Amino acid sequence: MESEKPPPPPPKWASKPCIMGIDEAGRGPVLGPMVYGCLYCARSYQKTLSTLNFADSKTLKEEKREELFESLKADESIGWAVDVIDPRELSAKMLKKNKINLNEISHDSAIGLINKVLSIDVLLTEVYLDTVGDAEKYRVKLSERFPNIKFVVAKKADSLYPVVSGASIVAKVTRDRALRDWVLDETAEGLHRNFGSGYPGDPQTKAWLEDHKHPVFGFPTLVRFSWGTCTSYSKDSVQVLWESDETDEDGNGRSKKRQMKLTSVGFTTPKRKSEDDESSGKGRCKFFQARKLELLPHF
Amino acid sequence: MDRRDEGPSLSASPATVDLSRDSAADVDLTGKVHQLPCCIKYDGPASISHYFKPKPTGMEVDGLQVEEAYFRGRKLHGTTIALPQGYSGFVLGKKSPNAETNTTDSDCWQTNATFQNVTVWNHDAMPSKDDAFVRAFHWFTAANALHRSVTAEDLESTCID
Repeated sequence: MESEKPPPPPPKWASKPCIMGIDEAGRGPVLGPMVYGCLYCARSYQKTLSTLNFADSKTLKEEKREELFESLKADESIGWAVDVIDPRELSAKMLKKNKINLNEISHDSAIGLINKVLSIDVLLTEVYLDTVGDAEKYRVKLSERFPNIKFVVAKKADSLYPVVSGASIVAKVTRDRALRDWVLDETAEGLHRNFGSGYPGDPQTKAWLEDHKHPVFGFPTLVRFSWGTCTSYSKDSVQVLWESDETDEDGNGRSKKRQMKLTSVGFTTPKRKSEDDESSGKGRCKFFQARKLELLPHF
Repeated sequence: MDRRDEGPSLSASPATVDLSRDSAADVDLTGKVHQLPCCIKYDGPASISHYFKPKPTGMEVDGLQVEEAYFRGRKLHGTTIALPQGYSGFVLGKKSPNAETNTTDSDCWQTNATFQNVTVWNHDAMPSKDDAFVRAFHWFTAANALHRSVTAEDLESTCID
């Protein structure tokens, strides 16, 4: 988890019962970070909050969102925080040997934000969130972890509760800025930054993916490799076999066969009779087996 | 991709490996040789330094400096292992056919590049002294012991009365 801009020290009102909204931006896009944002204030400020014209960030124009973000940052009765989850982290977690799915990553991020706000001594009594997976299971999970907080997990929370609308603006503006200012890791020539929105259906994003696919490396690390969209671009890319793929599709005969071939990866010689024999050190004494040392009489 | 015949012609001409390093084409690949925990079904050039960007993590495991890098969305942890003193890594290539040997299919190999270290990468695991690749170097010690000439003292000390 990576966070930017630590929230300010606890304001005076933090010792009074506070409410908080949590929302996400950039869950669907195939590239760029996913951002979790939260916004909190004293419960007594709730009425004023609803007059600030926060609406679900998606229904607002970009300039309006930027404007609202600046005004809420300047409002001393409001606190906020963000968790920016790097696309490299998303891909890596979702492609681990023990895969972590996006819902789990989302839950962890929300929990991280709650912990962060509690750690600066804000008296949170109510937290409002949008659903991620099953609403009731999510509510129970959060309530068990934070027994002193009342959780409201609701569909479209970002349009129902101003505190969540505010959080969605925090998240959306942070995500847009992060993508706009993204510095590509890759240094190859001809890379450009016309990412589009990052949504798989966006023509500009599609064009960017087409322009940046690479037969060996796949894509720059801005792309979430774990997204299904990526496979449609990998038709002419080089096949890469991982040891961790063996856990894919359990009980499937085909993947099992693949696993056999992967007993040893790395050194391959074109003269090998069958790929199943790849396990180097096979049939030799234990010393060599343990070190995968193979005798190569000719190559 | 090597597409040689696997026929008995192999035994006809003995294989030679030329490890001399005086050729102008000899390239030093130290710091650029990576062992990845996957099988890439490709044999050819790729713009590795533009896409594969190892970074130090500052972490240390078993005295090994841990680096991190990403490949195809996977996070890799690796460590750069120096080859033992007196050893070198060689990248061999088929000797290009020339008029002298008058054959295109000889088993003559020449040194195209050499290296003094290898970066070994794991997926989802920190590098460790127990990694097969790191342990492979034990063979050098064992081989030295096995091939050392036996002295009179050695014989005496192992003599059973």
